[in-house]
Amino acid sequence: MSKEIVKEEAPSSSPVVSGSFASLRSVRWRISLGILPSSSSVDDLRRVTADSRRRYAGLRRWLLVDPHVPKDGRSKSPDLVMDNPLSQNPDSTWGRFFRNAELEKMVDHDLSRLYPEHGSYFQTPGCQGMLRRILLLWCLRHPEYGYRQGMHELLAPLLYVLHVDVERLSEVRKLHEHHFIDKFDGLSFEENDVTYNFDFKKFLDSMEDEIGSQGNSKKARSLDELDPEIQTIVLLSDTYGAEGELGIVLSEKFTEHDAYCMFEALMSGAHGSVAMADFFSPIPAAQSQSGLPPVIEASAALYHLLSIVDSSLHSHLVELGVEPQYFALRWLRVLFGREFSLQDLLVVWDEIFTADNSPLEKDSGNDENSSFKMFNSCRGALITAMAVSMILYVRSSLLATENATTCLQRLLNFPKTINLRKLIAKAKPLQILALDSKISPLSSIFDGSYNRSKSAVSGYNLSSHPVSPKTPLSLVPDSYWEEKWRVLHKAEELKQDSLDKLSPSGKKRWSEKVKLVLSRTESDPSPARAEKYKKGHKSSVRRSLLDDLTRQLGLEEEDTEKGGCSDASNLGDHHSTEAQVEGQQNDTNIGSIYRAEERCECGSGTVVSEENSSIFSDPLSSGSGTNDHENDTEKSSFASNLSSDENDDHHQSNPEDSPLPVSSPPPEGVPLNSPHENESSGKLVSAMKERRHLSGRFQWLFRFGRNNVSQEASDKGGTNETAKSLNRDSKSNTADSSVAGASRNSSLASLRDVVDQNVMGTLKNLGQSMLEHIQVLESVFQQDRVQVGSVDNLGKSNLVGKGQVTAMTALKELRKISNLLSEM
Amino acid sequence: MVLVLAIGDLNIPHRAPDLPPKFKSMLVPGKIQHIICTGNLCIKEVHDYFKTLCPDLHITRGEYDEDSRYPENKTLTIGQFKLGICHGHQVIPWGDLDSLAMVQRQLDVDILVTGHTHQFKAYKHEGGVVINPGSATGAYSSFTYDVNPSFVLMDIDGLRVVVYVYELIDGEVKVDKIDFKKTATAPSAH
Repeated sequence: MSKEIVKEEAPSSSPVVSGSFASLRSVRWRISLGILPSSSSVDDLRRVTADSRRRYAGLRRWLLVDPHVPKDGRSKSPDLVMDNPLSQNPDSTWGRFFRNAELEKMVDHDLSRLYPEHGSYFQTPGCQGMLRRILLLWCLRHPEYGYRQGMHELLAPLLYVLHVDVERLSEVRKLHEHHFIDKFDGLSFEENDVTYNFDFKKFLDSMEDEIGSQGNSKKARSLDELDPEIQTIVLLSDTYGAEGELGIVLSEKFTEHDAYCMFEALMSGAHGSVAMADFFSPIPAAQSQSGLPPVIEASAALYHLLSIVDSSLHSHLVELGVEPQYFALRWLRVLFGREFSLQDLLVVWDEIFTADNSPLEKDSGNDENSSFKMFNSCRGALITAMAVSMILYVRSSLLATENATTCLQRLLNFPKTINLRKLIAKAKPLQILALDSKISPLSSIFDGSYNRSKSAVSGYNLSSHPVSPKTPLSLVPDSYWEEKWRVLHKAEELKQDSLDKLSPSGKKRWSEKVKLVLSRTESDPSPARAEKYKKGHKSSVRRSLLDDLTRQLGLEEEDTEKGGCSDASNLGDHHSTEAQVEGQQNDTNIGSIYRAEERCECGSGTVVSEENSSIFSDPLSSGSGTNDHENDTEKSSFASNLSSDENDDHHQSNPEDSPLPVSSPPPEGVPLNSPHENESSGKLVSAMKERRHLSGRFQWLFRFGRNNVSQEASDKGGTNETAKSLNRDSKSNTADSSVAGASRNSSLASLRDVVDQNVMGTLKNLGQSMLEHIQVLESVFQQDRVQVGSVDNLGKSNLVGKGQVTAMTALKELRKISNLLSEM
Repeated sequence: MVLVLAIGDLNIPHRAPDLPPKFKSMLVPGKIQHIICTGNLCIKEVHDYFKTLCPDLHITRGEYDEDSRYPENKTLTIGQFKLGICHGHQVIPWGDLDSLAMVQRQLDVDILVTGHTHQFKAYKHEGGVVINPGSATGAYSSFTYDVNPSFVLMDIDGLRVVVYVYELIDGEVKVDKIDFKKTATAPSAH
């Protein structure tokens, strides 16, 4: 501030203020946040301050709702039907009132726990009221963010610095009372009457009065002899300066307004790159390449910088499975508010706010899309650098522990007594590094970190990823799944081939079904659907049960008699009989499935389960909803993973299996029957597979056959048989190991150990999922009844009814089994 | 700003099966702080339903109530107002303003809420206000079949009470508003 310039200017001109505002943190921050213009005259500062305050006052008047006060002066005729307190109309003032009350309740919940150690300021009703109003208004203004925990912690220090500055002002006032004159008549002191000599005297903007030394003994010194800082304070606080009282830059009356402006600027980033509000948003940003929420992206940026700076620590943390967002979420959302004491925090924020927030220009060589948004500005880079510096500060304790929990404990309970200067000093070069480094493409970073995150956190749910396995599956690299997919599709092709051999009508229905399944449509005619439902039910029951193959054989023979067909495959026999009874579908389907199973077995065991589950989930999909299908893929992929180990070993033995079933259904020869039913069976299949390895597979197929068998039996009125078979199924559960697998045993043992670990946990899940599916099936069945009633087929409705009865009993069995599993 | 629901004479299940659906959709939990019930619910299920709307339920006994433990009269204070509740079948002649005023003086309340007539009434007189929320289900009364379902919501704010009347006329909910202000001596209506 130059006195000379001031002297020469006219009285009404305003002096330029000292740039630094060394002691006035709130003013500095307001300038850094972009609310106040930097390096301009006092008048400008005052004007801008006044404008922002007016805006806030207007906002408050508009948004804070008092339903008693009529809006726009329309007191006479509000539409009472809409505007009464019980009105459900969302537009009514009462409705808004109640919504605001809800929001306030949420805000209050957090505010009551804010800074209890500084409770003398923060827990006073005045301060709490201000905080509440500010947060409420901001949230009403930005409904897309709503109120999130942590916003109050961003706001609190802002309010605090304003408060501190106001206190500073009152100190200065006391010290230099005579400068704060409400001098409105422009008269010099000598000319004033005694009564005009107030205790608080303030100089006007022009310095002329002070320069001309007045003889008033009360004045200790002239304004220009004071520190520039004090001068600034005086000028900023002049009641008669630009904009009058509203323009007093440090004012207690307008603390709320100023705090709101600062908070708004901080959250929105003030046209800069780093907007704190983004960190509270769960949805990915529009320009985000990774499809992750911004705070996750920022955490990844943090880890990326760490990996550049200290790769050993980075890899150590990644190995332990410490995801950056576990601690970085809190660090970023509250800008380290919880990690430092209030005074330290103010220093840190000083640094952060000083850093420029404008988005940097990226050189054309560096692909803009692939860099982290955080590194797009100095401020973002500094925030990241601070975080990395903090991690490095506790480096030794992090490296010392082999436990993710301890690491997180160390990071989340950041030491309170720290050398802040050193921390910040370390952050500075890191910031430069962050800004300068050529950052590798975002995609690989996110893939890498994402895969790791999958393995680390089974519960962490990134909605962008379509399939999220819940089990240790996640350790499998991505290429594994591609391979499985390819194998699956090969199997599908094979299956299609097998279909050609079957009877035309059956084939048509079958391929219809397959197409339906593959295209995930629900366009089946109702009779077909009814049948599918039934079959699905049956097959699920059967599939989940471990079958006694000899009994299976016996049953098959029975059914063969009934059927009277002499197909190459006995199983085909039942099918044809079934077809007679219920239509063409079942037998051909089942027979084809059997064949398909075999082929699939060649490809991969998983394919089998997936195919069947997908096929038969389709009929149920209308009943059970689409999530079943997703579960399908999940479970089948799970199954595929579990059996992956087996597949390699068993692959050579697989071809042996295929020729066997065609001739006759010997227990050992038949490969695993793929489950028709929905997910639960699929999972169960895989789980069972693990336990009994290939021996189990044979039984699946037979169980499948039994499904049809029992279906037929019921159709013919042989409900007892079904019950019997069901009983047998449950009995044979435990008897499995004795059966078959003779040819497989060699390779089984080795795999058993490998796979067993996964099995137990999954079995419980299976049991639960089975229960769910049972419920689904039952509900579907009830829908079925309605559907079936409208079916025009003559004998079908009767049969279908019987089939449903059987299915219900089957479901009960399924329930029993699921209980068994859950116990295991 | 306290919202108080005044409701009564539902006579469920004897004379009416349930509240009208339009009323039911308006009565959601969370908005109302107190419920004042004049009586004749008659069964526990209705009592439980009111409890779900608001835990603070005040109820007096009507002649057909199956729970005999409800009191004959009740008084409570909300904000600056003293409220009294009485079913009204005890007050002879039924619905007579002077007799009700006698009860009001007896209970020494500013606002007296009574029922039994199944007719909405809101009087200001002498020392206070008498409000009859009518029958919430539109059940027939002892002297007429022509009953519109109605209930009352009071918004007590300091010295002023705003009475919102909700009536179901021809299948539509009609709302009306009456202001009462309590002065040091007597409430005045305008």
